Amino acid sequence: MSTQEELERDRAVVTLVDDVWVTIVWNDPVNLMSYVTYVFRTYFGFTKEVAAARMMEVHRDGRSVVSSGPREKMEVDVQAMHSYGLHATLQRSDA
Amino acid sequence: MRGFVATDNGAVAQLDDEERTVVARIVADVGLLLGGEPFGMTAPVDREQPRDDEDALFAALARITESVEDPDDPAVLALLPHASDDDRELAQEFRRLTEEDLRLHKTDRLRRMWEDLSQDGPDWLVPFDECLATASALTDIRLVLASRLGLDSDDDGELLRSELATAIEADDEPASRSEAERIWLGMLYESLGWLQQSLLDTLMEDDDDEL
Repeated sequence: MSTQEELERDRAVVTLVDDVWVTIVWNDPVNLMSYVTYVFRTYFGFTKEVAAARMMEVHRDGRSVVSSGPREKMEVDVQAMHSYGLHATLQRSDA
Repeated sequence: MRGFVATDNGAVAQLDDEERTVVARIVADVGLLLGGEPFGMTAPVDREQPRDDEDALFAALARITESVEDPDDPAVLALLPHASDDDRELAQEFRRLTEEDLRLHKTDRLRRMWEDLSQDGPDWLVPFDECLATASALTDIRLVLASRLGLDSDDDGELLRSELATAIEADDEPASRSEAERIWLGMLYESLGWLQQSLLDTLMEDDDDEL
């Protein structure tokens, strides 16, 4: 394996790590706290405690980051949240 | 109206005939708002000539769907939100890729709920494997009602609740037709929230750390 190849491989890894996106769920006056918690548990597989903590963040702070990863995965998560009737957006994690 | 309780066959709520008619109507109307085919044989409400018997009631519901075909309708946006509030290009791309699927998914879910509601008898049975979908359909209906009621924040929700409490306590005829409609839609919104809560309670009854 040449040095050049190794360098290129490293750069590829750096790019991948840099391009992290997040899914954000926003507060709304409609959704019930128990429903939001249940959706977080069902879809993301959070424990009761984690799901409740994320739900409280949404309720109290107006938003919570619920997942992170490549953009394509975040698009899937946002679509799922919209299908549950939650308002979700995606953005670069450093944005 | 009796909230959902768990039975061997699924979650069961009880609605009288009038409640059932109203709930089925709003389910069908939200389906129309999403651009779906009318559910069952029920024709959309004739906005020019509301039925005499349930005039005020259905006139208020008719306004729910008056902006079908308008993608900028806030109620439609609540059902199919933007995936980004500041990146227009991303939001448009996301909409292009997902909107049709989301519309179909939500319409199918509403249609199933409408069919469950159209069974004979006072029981509204929701099989266990449909409970989450029904809870989500109830969210969609409440999103539309909230949009029509102008509920934008948690404070607006509190305000509506105290408005309704005052109206019930006063027991007077509402001052105007629009006020009567607002109270009526507000009551429907609250009732559906209460039903949704009872449905979630049955879902979470034996909810330990494994879903």
